[in-house]
Amino acid sequence: MPLQTGQLLGLEHVYWGILIVIYPYLSGLVAGSFIVGSLSKVFGAKKFEPMAKLAAIVTLAFLLIAALAPLADARQPSRFLELYSRPHVPYAPMGLFTLIWTAYVLLALTETYFIFRQDNLYMAEHAAGWRQTWHRWLTLGWHDVSPRAIHREHIILVALAAAGIFLAFAFHGYIGFIFGAIKARPLWSNPLMMPMFIVSAIVSGIALMIIAYIGIVGGLVSRDAVDNDLVAGLMSLLMWTIFVDLFLDIVDFLNAGVQAYAMGPTYDGFHAIFMGGPLTFMYWGLQLGFLSIALILTFFGAVRRSRWGSSITSLLVLISVYAMRYDTVVGGQLQPKASQGLVQYIPPWLGRDSVQTVIGIFGIAFLLMVLQLLLLPWDKHWMDHWIHHSHQARVPSNVAAVSKKEGV
Amino acid sequence: MSETPQIPESDQPAVSRKSAVAKGLILGLSLSLPLLLPHKAHAATLPSESPHLNPDKNVSWEGWDNPRLNVNDGWDNWQTILNPDHLPIYHDQFQRIETSHPQHHWIMVIDLRKCVGCQSCVVACKSENNVPLGVYRTWVDVSQMGDTVPDPHGDILVDGTRYRQDVLVMNVPKLCNHCDDPPCVEVCPVKATYKRADGIVLVDPELCIGCGTCVNACPYDARFLNPVSHTADKCTFCVERVDAGLLPACVTTCVGRARVFGDANDPSSEVSQLLANYPHVVRHSDFGTDPQVFYIGMSGEIATLDDPELQHMVFTYTSNANSTTAQ
Repeated sequence: MPLQTGQLLGLEHVYWGILIVIYPYLSGLVAGSFIVGSLSKVFGAKKFEPMAKLAAIVTLAFLLIAALAPLADARQPSRFLELYSRPHVPYAPMGLFTLIWTAYVLLALTETYFIFRQDNLYMAEHAAGWRQTWHRWLTLGWHDVSPRAIHREHIILVALAAAGIFLAFAFHGYIGFIFGAIKARPLWSNPLMMPMFIVSAIVSGIALMIIAYIGIVGGLVSRDAVDNDLVAGLMSLLMWTIFVDLFLDIVDFLNAGVQAYAMGPTYDGFHAIFMGGPLTFMYWGLQLGFLSIALILTFFGAVRRSRWGSSITSLLVLISVYAMRYDTVVGGQLQPKASQGLVQYIPPWLGRDSVQTVIGIFGIAFLLMVLQLLLLPWDKHWMDHWIHHSHQARVPSNVAAVSKKEGV
Repeated sequence: MSETPQIPESDQPAVSRKSAVAKGLILGLSLSLPLLLPHKAHAATLPSESPHLNPDKNVSWEGWDNPRLNVNDGWDNWQTILNPDHLPIYHDQFQRIETSHPQHHWIMVIDLRKCVGCQSCVVACKSENNVPLGVYRTWVDVSQMGDTVPDPHGDILVDGTRYRQDVLVMNVPKLCNHCDDPPCVEVCPVKATYKRADGIVLVDPELCIGCGTCVNACPYDARFLNPVSHTADKCTFCVERVDAGLLPACVTTCVGRARVFGDANDPSSEVSQLLANYPHVVRHSDFGTDPQVFYIGMSGEIATLDDPELQHMVFTYTSNANSTTAQ
């Protein structure tokens, strides 16, 4: 009797826990922020130009740690080189993902080089001390700023952005397919998995870029530097992608949550987990509810143009997409494969595959972002500040005092 | 070495950019050289030379915790035991196995009419394969079909009313089905798991990165992450015994001879005879995995669904549920 209602059952476990929840989450942020950064180049939307550099920084930071989550989840992470020395392509989704990730890292590094080259050159010419050395090193010896070279650089950046959008789709689509390819899990084995992951990736990436733009430019440079038109443009973009995301959610619900339309095991799992089960609030409240509230908020022009309004909307979207990842990854595994009832899962606070690890991974992302903000010429005001300081630091204080007295 | 042609011949000063770039290229090439070299294939190495099959270097091959303990009792014959080099292995495109006409095709037939639910196969498997606490390579689920109904002549007395158990007890031994089209093998990102030409699906614990994809991809939940070796693990059909001409431990120990193991390619084998003479089903044929463990005396409905309305699971391996052994 206890087995019908009980949750402690059998040999079943949630093998992919909270680390695999944040793995598509982080990857989605990468794919989305890259697409936002490429808007000005590929689609000619010039108003998004000011955030291209910031998007490159955010993309690189999250991209480098996106592979850390599955690596930390693997029980034998030290054997990761096997993913390169004997990849099972094209059969294994995870094997192909590794190659796509590697290509993406190379592309993001190349893009970072080209997008900052002119500013690095400017820094190398005007700054002194270690900043001069560092920024000269970052130019990798290409010091040509003739109109022809700049035009060539622009062509390269456009080509990189176009290839990057293709890779962003492959990158995140394949994460969706890692789950979609597993036919043993009725809630995963779903052709919608790939488009749903791609669209929610773009949604979360836009939301992240809104928060990053307002937080970093507004908080670190000056509040007036925040371009409200740009934020409003991103918000309307967000509105349309949320429309597509909700549409896919509805299609998914029709194919999983309605008994007459869904396959038996799919409906049983969906009903037991999301309709009165352990993830009911996560699904209806956080995933769909927050996304709907965010969608309604984007309808108002005042919200779209306000810093706080768009930040709160973006935060709702980020929470909703996290809930979507959790519902997909953990929810799919709560349905047992060889026994009855539901599997129980509570993420542990400490240890392997725990909240602690997740905080650590986000901490690394934050650190990478801070390092890039401090070491890459992403803002004109900061560059002038760095140049000024590098000259001051170069001259010993007593010499500076003497030269000031002499009026040199 | 191969990277020397990449260095440009130059008479320029030592600090020129070209030479710096060339130095960087050499460094990068030499760092990545181990990656570029072709990976040594299994079949290319002799069994005695491969550290992979050397009992002094490999302490975690399927079968024993430490093969060095067995050097004097005949179990150190690495020419015949645990040696996948003797058979071609497949990581995908399993249809090629059939066209290669392998000598054997090992399968198991489980006659549920004879299973008494004694669980001794579970014990034998644990003992033979050193399966850690909390995880199982085979297990026997006990379920009931039917209800407890009121009956004036029944032998159950509750509050003055008599009942009779109108149930059929099903003992279902479950193990890896060694599918002919195994999704777990296909999703492995590093080709650590494979299907031998004789049908046995194995995991190489020296290569497995423990990502858990195969564990999720198995529709029968037959795989687990071994808490000791930290790799994926599963039933091996006791491959070391089979290669030595013995039966799997669970088959040897089965008191009712419910488990029968044999060669499906041999028409006179007991498994072939059983399959020819009795109706049989496989678990979850709807997944299209072509399982190679066959059940006699099991209703097709039960084989497909774990529906509580069809069968009521009264005993299962709950002891490890939510345990910390997997961490």
